[in-house]
Amino acid sequence: MKPFEYFEPTTVREATELLSTYGGKAGILAGGIDLIPRMRKGEIEAEYVVNLQKIPNLEQIAAHEDSGITFGAMARLRSIELSKTIQKKYPILFEAVHQITSVQTKHMGTVVGNVCVGTPASDVATSLFALGARLKISGVKGERTEPIEKFYVDYRLTSLKRGEMVTEVALPDPPAGTGTAFLNLLRTHADIAKISVAAAIVMQYGICREARIAIGAAAPTVFRAVKAEALLTGQKITAEVINKASETASGETRPITDLRSTAEYRREMAKVLVRRVLEKALERAR
Amino acid sequence: MKKEIVNFKINGRPYEVIVSPNMTLYDLLRDLHLTGTKRSCGVGECGSCTVLVDGNPTLACSTLAIAVRDKEILTIEGLSRGAQLHLLQQAFVDGGAIQCGFCTPGMIMMAKALLDENPNPTREEVKEGLGGNLCRCTGYVKIIDAVMVSAEKMRKGDK
Repeated sequence: MKPFEYFEPTTVREATELLSTYGGKAGILAGGIDLIPRMRKGEIEAEYVVNLQKIPNLEQIAAHEDSGITFGAMARLRSIELSKTIQKKYPILFEAVHQITSVQTKHMGTVVGNVCVGTPASDVATSLFALGARLKISGVKGERTEPIEKFYVDYRLTSLKRGEMVTEVALPDPPAGTGTAFLNLLRTHADIAKISVAAAIVMQYGICREARIAIGAAAPTVFRAVKAEALLTGQKITAEVINKASETASGETRPITDLRSTAEYRREMAKVLVRRVLEKALERAR
Repeated sequence: MKKEIVNFKINGRPYEVIVSPNMTLYDLLRDLHLTGTKRSCGVGECGSCTVLVDGNPTLACSTLAIAVRDKEILTIEGLSRGAQLHLLQQAFVDGGAIQCGFCTPGMIMMAKALLDENPNPTREEVKEGLGGNLCRCTGYVKIIDAVMVSAEKMRKGDK
């Protein structure tokens, strides 16, 4: 790796001041499993590395009575995977993390780090879209919160301004009648997904009150298939409604052809996965 | 770039080393002639460089040495007691779970972390636990057998 200046701030304030000073030349070290390999490959040139590991209280996963759950910037993927609360209340987040094959990656890597890489192929980000995640972002000028669907501006480009870092992810309490599901397609179990879909629906008296359908690896960013969602809201969810929604969702994708899959396959599989995910979510909502 | 004199605790021994921030834990271990830890892919995808840091399975190639000062680092060398192999190492040897041997140290360190957390794993849990460790030679079956055998011996109190 090229030489760099190394910092171990002990507060978020200190970290944001460093990030503000050094801007785009600074890399944030959380778990390091994205940053270090890419620095070794020369893909990232960070002249300054800001290590978050010595800032206390960033690893917490905190369940709040009836108001959801929050976890900090250093909450490891492995902690999320082992959390009984998350397994029970946010199963699609558990599923997205659990299917990451490398245990070492899960011990070292963080959820926030995964989200901040900004790749549309993040299964974790896809499930967080469906769960209505909100991100707390700290900068030198103060804090702001943002729903995750506003966080991605373009491929690998987040809304973070100079000096800002994500300090927390908040998930709302799932309302009664919620059903969620997550599915993806991969070449091998350890590979990055060709396409992933996560959905959350809220059913009340047989009518869909709310729907979120998130699709990953089929556009420059993870996105919500809002036209498909609109076909579900206020409706009884019949097989016909599901089929219509899956077709519409497929039309909302902007996939590319790359080494993992073709645009045509991704577009077609969006339809199949959205259908299966909606069926599963509906079943779980009962 | 500032070099620093840093204290490390590796396999129960203290080391005082001059470290540059851009040294990985893997670089550090090799410099100290602890050559048991191997680097295969070097980009955090194969698990060959797995060591334990405060008991947690960690990829040495993707860890900055300077970030793990004052932590308990355990490498493959720390498992054996002189010429006496650790139960896991012996099980790999006895079970024919080693061919070229390059994945073996990382595989054993990961297996140790797995068994420390879950002393009674199912075969499926062992497969899941070793998901981050690639082997090009053995086809994994004997590796999984060796871990299952070790788990049973450990539960019986064998050393």
